[in-house]
Amino acid sequence: MSTNGSAAPAVGTPATGVAPSALSANAAASAVIRVEHVSRWFGSVVAVSDVTFDIGPGITGLLGPNGAGKTTLLRMMTGLAEVSDGTVTMFGEPVRDNPPLYRRVGVMSEHEAVYPFLKGRDFVRMMARLRGVEDPEAATEKAIGLVDLAAAAELPMGTYSRGMRQRMRLAGTLVHDPEVLILDEPLNGADPRQRVHFQALLKRLAGEGRTIVLSSHILEEVERIAQTVLLIVNGKLAASGGFRAIRAALDKRPYHVRVMADRPRELAAAVVRLDSVDAVNVDPDGALIVLSRKVRELQVELPRLAKEEGISLRRVEPLDDSLESVFGYLVER
Amino acid sequence: MGAVYSLTLRQLSGRWRLVIMTVLAALPVVFTAVVVRDSTAPFIEEFETIVLGTMLVGTISPLIVVAIASVAFGNEVEDSTLANLTLAPIPRWQIVLPKLAASVTVALPFILVSALVTSWLAFNHDVLATWAVTVGALAGLLMYASVFVWLGLVTRHAMAAGLLYIVLWEGFFSGYVSGIRFLSIRYYSIALMHGLDPRRFVAQPNVGLGAAVVVAVAVCVLFAFLSTRRLRRMDVP
Repeated sequence: MSTNGSAAPAVGTPATGVAPSALSANAAASAVIRVEHVSRWFGSVVAVSDVTFDIGPGITGLLGPNGAGKTTLLRMMTGLAEVSDGTVTMFGEPVRDNPPLYRRVGVMSEHEAVYPFLKGRDFVRMMARLRGVEDPEAATEKAIGLVDLAAAAELPMGTYSRGMRQRMRLAGTLVHDPEVLILDEPLNGADPRQRVHFQALLKRLAGEGRTIVLSSHILEEVERIAQTVLLIVNGKLAASGGFRAIRAALDKRPYHVRVMADRPRELAAAVVRLDSVDAVNVDPDGALIVLSRKVRELQVELPRLAKEEGISLRRVEPLDDSLESVFGYLVER
Repeated sequence: MGAVYSLTLRQLSGRWRLVIMTVLAALPVVFTAVVVRDSTAPFIEEFETIVLGTMLVGTISPLIVVAIASVAFGNEVEDSTLANLTLAPIPRWQIVLPKLAASVTVALPFILVSALVTSWLAFNHDVLATWAVTVGALAGLLMYASVFVWLGLVTRHAMAAGLLYIVLWEGFFSGYVSGIRFLSIRYYSIALMHGLDPRRFVAQPNVGLGAAVVVAVAVCVLFAFLSTRRLRRMDVP
């Protein structure tokens, strides 16, 4: 995979350690999906801004906070939505208004609505027939088996739990054995066992040479299965590459830690001398706001220092552990 | 196309929708049955204008069709299941035509029975008149269905827009402003009835049978084409 987000530089190189120029050349040669300078705006609101990347075989995670533009981007990649600017191609063909392409592509949108009156098996069979599968019956049974839902296949989908609906929708997405899978938040509603099953299934499908794009707003979820990551924030490509590179970038980010103690000014004077601390402020209610790039060391040094100084720590809490702040940090870099 | 057709049939066959359709379709029949028993029954020209022209063709028939055809796509746009169809490797017209056919299939029995029984009673078992009214009403069904299926793709408020169209355009403007009658579906349905049985609907402005057939076919083809084009160009939710 290569990226060329003009809005923000790529973070690091992929975990393979391949030099960016060589990677770009390789990826360009093996690109299945190519997104070039794609933007989408709704009136004066820019949802996706000048995003460029290629995606090749394997699992690619599209990561970003809610409202970042992931779904809009995926919808443009699947031809469901028009681009305002730029081009999206798959196997070298335009994705928009090109129905024959869907023989090779399976898409599971974020919407969880189903036909409540259809039995699970009827839904998957219908998807097989719509996609021109030669033997719809056999393909239906195989797809339902893949998602491990044969026991519920004769029940109307309106009676399914959220996780069961998602799995049956996935069966409908897989029924025509597509080369490319595009899945928007597929693990919504899945319980831990289903997640493990799903992750194993995706890895197996990717191992067969398929191209899989999966979006999520959960960092750890993507980390477990995706070899490469596209990080979307505020409609821009904030970072891309191997997960280790992105993890390394995250580890270097400064943390703000709020510390409540019985003698805050004395503690501030002592804490500022620590190697793990970059700066200290005392806020109006007497709490210390400690800025640190070595938060793990701080976790060890701070209690020891307090004990040496005879200061009681009442509360220690991180201020910016939210996903949005993590993504925001990567965008600002 | 069979998969889209059977799916749409299931979607449109909700119990309450069918109950409402039955009540609507029964209204002209009940009204006619009451009127023909009354010794002060209106002249046949008044009956043609009020019951068949305004009530059956101008109100009941489009109401039945709008309740069915506007949700053929409208419901799938609303609940975002339309992508299941548009992400299939089939031309868009193979989605539009089965949707249209399913809408007509569901509405057909109600309009057919309503037109058939109403005219049979009103025209005292006159076969030609009954045939003319029934065919005219079915032609109206096809035209209304084409328009309302398209409407379901262009607005999320297709039912409301359709009702406004029926009340304001088909019911009010085209009924009272003679200059714009030729832009209403009701006008051509009645022209077809008059063309098939020249004894009936003589009070209506005349259009030849051939012209009425051509316009009916043109409306169906035009709106099927517009629906297909819309489906190709729209952002599918």
